[in-house]
Amino acid sequence: MSHALHRHGTVEQLQNDYTFYARASRYVNREGCGPKLRKILSIALEEKNLVNYGSSQAGKSFKAGLKPDEYAATLDKAYGVAGCFSDKEAVRSLLKKLKEAETGISIVISGLIDEIVKIARDLDLKPHTAFLSLGVHGKRSLLPEDEVQQVTTMCGHGMVSSKLTKVVMERVKAGKMTPEKGAHLLAQPCPCGIFNTDRCEAILKELKENSPAGAKS
Amino acid sequence: MKIDPEKCIACLECVDFCPMKCIAEQDDVVSIDQDECVDCGVCLHAGVCPTDALYMPEESMQYPRAIRAQFSDPGVWHPSTNQGGRGTEEMKTNDVTGRFRRGEYGMALEFGRPGTGARMSDLEKVLQALIRMDVELEHDNAVFAFLEEPLTGKVKPEFRNEKVLSAILEFKIREEQLEEIVRQLRPVLAEVDTVVSWGLASRFAEDGTLPVRARLEALGVPTRPNAKINMGMGRPIVEP
Repeated sequence: MSHALHRHGTVEQLQNDYTFYARASRYVNREGCGPKLRKILSIALEEKNLVNYGSSQAGKSFKAGLKPDEYAATLDKAYGVAGCFSDKEAVRSLLKKLKEAETGISIVISGLIDEIVKIARDLDLKPHTAFLSLGVHGKRSLLPEDEVQQVTTMCGHGMVSSKLTKVVMERVKAGKMTPEKGAHLLAQPCPCGIFNTDRCEAILKELKENSPAGAKS
Repeated sequence: MKIDPEKCIACLECVDFCPMKCIAEQDDVVSIDQDECVDCGVCLHAGVCPTDALYMPEESMQYPRAIRAQFSDPGVWHPSTNQGGRGTEEMKTNDVTGRFRRGEYGMALEFGRPGTGARMSDLEKVLQALIRMDVELEHDNAVFAFLEEPLTGKVKPEFRNEKVLSAILEFKIREEQLEEIVRQLRPVLAEVDTVVSWGLASRFAEDGTLPVRARLEALGVPTRPNAKINMGMGRPIVEP
């Protein structure tokens, strides 16, 4: 999850991509945090534009079959709740409810900085700390194409392979797989549930439309 | 990870799932390159093997190899830190821990991300440079359990060649050091034999702005429009 700051894309490409992470601290408030985390999960689940959720403790995401009750049952032995949204209004609604709930658990939102700061101002919240990406350094020749990185960096632990991403992209472009099915397949390896299938589907749709086969159909 | 040749039917369903591209077929036999495999378990957890031929062998749970899964599968916890993942709480809980205060920046260098993986020895040149610079290294990161002591910047010999999906060096600097640290780190990072994702944690100013963005721009460091933001909603005590 330390990688959510490095989600790849331009301002336009990141309009539909926000993640949240509620995290208890092992030094401060992790002891007995299960009920608070369950409260946060129930608030997040109320949002109709919640795209995905999950945890490494549960071992899978909503898109891989994790049910809310199953997730909630893991939270006494966990320290966080994670998920993602495809629109900023869902983030606003989530933060408003979390502010009212006063759980005391730290809340982290990843996404467009200016949009998140604006929402915080509207809700009278004071953003505390930002984690900014200073880019990818070292042997950059090893990196795949931009559109592949847009997909693979949506998993906070790097579990989505560039090879699988390329294979899915080719199948979608050739009309052998729908963007929806492709996004669902690519979400399977990411247990924390911050792989945004809505955004992935949009990326795949655009690729299909811009491909020679897509242009004919 | 290994494939049981007695069970494998060479359907190749698992091949594309491997983030390290180390599952391959040769002479009708599918196998996993043990030197390149980081034991992340993605192939196994994908549930695509029709004959249950994929398995985590006993040697993957014994040191030194055991660190591969610890740094690669977020479901495997580090014994030294009692948590999963590769980093610390860094800024995620900064509103309750005060790890990064005003006047300080946190930095994280994630080796092997995105998508390439890293040998533990890839950290050494950079770590040695950081030790020479006046920075405060984060000892709570799981990496520290595998470094030579006293700290030389070298990984313990038995772990140097272990490959992991990624490993993170975290440290703290004073705000006034930013320009010098960036100037010194850039050429060192350029020599690393894998990719390194670089992050910087900064407190917001009282007026809700992030003055560090302008400083980075002046340094010619491209920043992204997106970030991870601690919303300041944490409180120190959770009621029982």
